[in-house]
Amino acid sequence: MKNNLKIQIGIALGLMCLLLTGAIVVQLNTIKEATRIVGTQYAEAGLKEEVIKWKEDYERKYKELEEKQETLETVRKDATKDSGRTKQLQEDLDNTNRLLGLTEVTGSGLILTLSDQDRMKLKETGGDPTQAIVHAEDLIQIINELKNSGAEAISINGQRVISTTAITCSGTIITINGVKVNSPFEIRVIGNYFTLTAIARPGGYLSLMEDGGVKAKLEKQNNIIIPKYSGTITTKYMIHVK
Amino acid sequence: MNKSKIIMYTTIGVMSLILVYVMFIQFRIVNESDVDEVKFLREAELREMLASYKEKYKEVEEEIIETDKTIEEYKQTAKTEEGTIALLEKDRDDARMKLGITDVEGEGITIKMVEPRGTETAPVEPYSNLLTLVNELLLAGAEAISINGQRIVAMSDIVSISGDIIRINGERTTDPFEIKAIGETDRLLSALRIKGGFMDMYNDINYTITIEKGKIRINKYSQPITLEYANK
Repeated sequence: MKNNLKIQIGIALGLMCLLLTGAIVVQLNTIKEATRIVGTQYAEAGLKEEVIKWKEDYERKYKELEEKQETLETVRKDATKDSGRTKQLQEDLDNTNRLLGLTEVTGSGLILTLSDQDRMKLKETGGDPTQAIVHAEDLIQIINELKNSGAEAISINGQRVISTTAITCSGTIITINGVKVNSPFEIRVIGNYFTLTAIARPGGYLSLMEDGGVKAKLEKQNNIIIPKYSGTITTKYMIHVK
Repeated sequence: MNKSKIIMYTTIGVMSLILVYVMFIQFRIVNESDVDEVKFLREAELREMLASYKEKYKEVEEEIIETDKTIEEYKQTAKTEEGTIALLEKDRDDARMKLGITDVEGEGITIKMVEPRGTETAPVEPYSNLLTLVNELLLAGAEAISINGQRIVAMSDIVSISGDIIRINGERTTDPFEIKAIGETDRLLSALRIKGGFMDMYNDINYTITIEKGKIRINKYSQPITLEYANK
């Protein structure tokens, strides 16, 4: 009777120990996993700091460049006579820089705002989330249509669209001129308002986006300010052909 | 005595079970927070941003040196009117080249793109392919681009007319397409050949794409560029 009980207790304890050991092993593995994740977060935090540092460095350097460019403007103006060949060349240069998007411009046109659909709303209506958000590809198409409708100057969230502007996405982040932009996308366009409104035609790209769930707002404006291109246009590989 | 022993051991057993259960709960929680792809994606995005800022920084740095040089030149040569004229002409020509209204040459690539024949695959609309390609080339630092002789400038548009006919800069053109781009050849090539990139995408849907590299010439944009609505 006593022996029987001892055996029972022994077996029970043995089982308990086995379970405990198993649990401890599992727990240890879990902790290892957790440490790895925390490690990644640390690395990411470091990376974030580095990105911020470079962003600040870049902005400081860009300010320096802007000051130099102002100095150059002054020096150039000083060298230019009030009339004659130099004045004409100076005007030519200013005009070309304006066409390049290197100066701020104002004028009439429209402002088109595109925004991703709210998640809540999307859940209610059961829409397709990939169609209800604005993609880089969509912006490329919209810009192309705006150019077709005679846009003279375009900016998206403060980024001037010039000849070398690329619009890309990596993951969920859209970059324009190498700068990150987010929904809502405010697209400012200077040009003839009536021809520009072709962007909203039925069956056009914009209407397809709206069908997909993207929110669009179009306003006519008389005094749109479009900032200058905040970057440099470098030419290292091409040369004039005389 | 025996009875109390049994109670004691049962209590220990129950406690152990609870302990094990708690541990399993803990394990599940950690497992759920094991965020998978998003984490890595974010890191990749951060790396990309970092690379972008570094590149822009370098460009601005070079531009500062360039601007300093030009300021010096103006100070030196602007003493005579001829000197000033020469400098202004140089600056103006440089700006005109950037605008795309002069013929240019340099190292680069020529892409020939032929649509698939037959009905096996429905081709993507050609204008859309070209928009994508231009964007890829610009991202890879292309300085000048043309498609079937049409220079791509800031106000260029590529639209579909009907079927295979498209219009670039208001001029009609059609398949096959010859796209030229001046820039750092290796960078342009790798941007197109990257796994899952432009070449992969279009080879998969049976486009015939060939790329050659070498010295190329790209013609100027031949229409007037004016601003009617955009003022200073």
